Amino acid sequence: MMPARTQEGHAPASGRPRRRWAKRARTAIRYVFMLVYVTFVLLPIVYMVLIAFHTTDSVGSGVLLPPSWHWQTFIEMWSTITLGTYVKNSFLVALTAALCASLLAFGASYVVARFRFRLRQTFRMSLLASQTVPGVLLLLPLFVIYVTLQHVLHVKIVGGYFGIVLAYMTFGLPFSIWMLSIYIIGLPVELEEQGLVDGATRFQIVRAIILPLTLPGLVVAFVFSFLLGWNDVLFATALTSPATRTLAVGLQAYLEAFPAWNQLMAASLLAALPATLLFLFVQRYIVTGLTGGSLKG
Amino acid sequence: MPGSVVRPPYGLMAPSVLFLAVVVWLPMLLAVYISLTRLNQYTITMWLQAPFVALHNYAQALDLRSPLAGPLYNSIRVSLAFSILTTLFITPIAVGGAILCNSQVWGRSALRAIMLLPYVIPTFVNAILWRLVFMNGGAANRILAGLHLGSQDTLWLIGSNAFWAMVTADVWAAWPFVYLMVLAALQTISGEVYDASKIDGADGVRGFRYVTLPIIWPTLALALVLSTIHHFNNFTLPFVMFGSSPPDSVNVLPLNVYISSFINLNFGLGAAESMMAMLIILVPAIFYLRATHVGESE
Repeated sequence: MMPARTQEGHAPASGRPRRRWAKRARTAIRYVFMLVYVTFVLLPIVYMVLIAFHTTDSVGSGVLLPPSWHWQTFIEMWSTITLGTYVKNSFLVALTAALCASLLAFGASYVVARFRFRLRQTFRMSLLASQTVPGVLLLLPLFVIYVTLQHVLHVKIVGGYFGIVLAYMTFGLPFSIWMLSIYIIGLPVELEEQGLVDGATRFQIVRAIILPLTLPGLVVAFVFSFLLGWNDVLFATALTSPATRTLAVGLQAYLEAFPAWNQLMAASLLAALPATLLFLFVQRYIVTGLTGGSLKG
Repeated sequence: MPGSVVRPPYGLMAPSVLFLAVVVWLPMLLAVYISLTRLNQYTITMWLQAPFVALHNYAQALDLRSPLAGPLYNSIRVSLAFSILTTLFITPIAVGGAILCNSQVWGRSALRAIMLLPYVIPTFVNAILWRLVFMNGGAANRILAGLHLGSQDTLWLIGSNAFWAMVTADVWAAWPFVYLMVLAALQTISGEVYDASKIDGADGVRGFRYVTLPIIWPTLALALVLSTIHHFNNFTLPFVMFGSSPPDSVNVLPLNVYISSFINLNFGLGAAESMMAMLIILVPAIFYLRATHVGESE
């Protein structure tokens, strides 16, 4: 007993300096890696910011640091191209699509979450599967449908707001239904059952109990649908006209007349701002959102 | 109440189903039909009368003697190489980042937010940024020349170099996706597991190999499959970086389909090509659908 105890007592004493060294070395390595990662992530972003503060003349000089902090780039960029129109269009289209997608999705997601019906699994599977379909596969037939309807009904769809909003529902709606149904499945059913016992109608239950409880989920579905529209280039390239062009496509115009890279970078930073803020706002839900609820963050 | 005998309120579902039918299911079926017709700019307004050519578009796209087959095979090769290589490069960066952010370091929450930045920046902004970096006289060449690793005048946006420019841009932008999922999985591992494994002598690399990796593997696998699908379907990055007449080395399938349909206005061929893209994507997609256990979350 005694010798064993002394051994136990001695071991840490002789091992401690070495272990402390190992621990320090590990901490140092961690901070080195941290520095590497932060540099890797921030370097391109800092580059963007530096270019944005150049003047149109100095940006081509090949010097990295701007000779002076030319903040006026952020004002000049509004008059070089019709940036204001593009920003307005992006907000209009993405907000409308997101609003339609999340509101429509709410009803369907409640039914999918709480009831069993024929083809329920097929329906849920199709929602997930639509997230893997290449966008261009859906754009092509949609374009053909739009052109045909235009021809038959003599209304403008390609190049109008309606056509592009509807197109953004192709990904926003299945995604929102899936996401919200996962959210509602996670809510306790007792409140609804209590409501039924008290003689409330289904509609009353949905409006007074489910809707308020689902509100956070609705916000997340709305944000993700908004970002789908805000970030899209494919549909906007084919389905918008100069008047309805969104920011994602419109930015190219900076390179057409003369390459105003400083203004392009400034406008790109502006375009990245809403997306970045919204993502950080729903950070907690990103993992759930991106994996179709198979993982909860 | 799944399993309840109450008749579901189908009325709540009807609007969504109607919309899905109009904007997703019907277009999918139409895409199959279009791929069997000779639909072009002359026949587009009367596609029901467009000549039905059965599998001609597919045959034309796959026939080695036809001039169209070259671009298609090239695109399949580029798409596969692009999506697999980027996923391979991303994996160590993402897993390393997740382990780092899961350990006790000073400023961890700020670090976590910074790590997300490349992913939350819209892809079109990312593409514009990297186009500038790889431009003649851009940052890439100056850094490479400064380190004596390359010439000042390397052209990155044309020829086979363009592929590596695109891979770099995509790796930078896409790794936080896998990182986020791995981090979420790491956070489910309690400290006790590590304490127990340390007593058993599994520390450092061995601890990762025999303790951490088995626990995060299902999540990591799912993340890698999803990331491969996303890369395969990425249209925005090559399109904004290289425009509608890209070098062969970056002419990925979605871009090829877009060019066939909307530049050359050969919609039938474009649809046939997009069907083939869907067929390839089906392999990881089925894995993804299985991994999410659609049938089990009752």
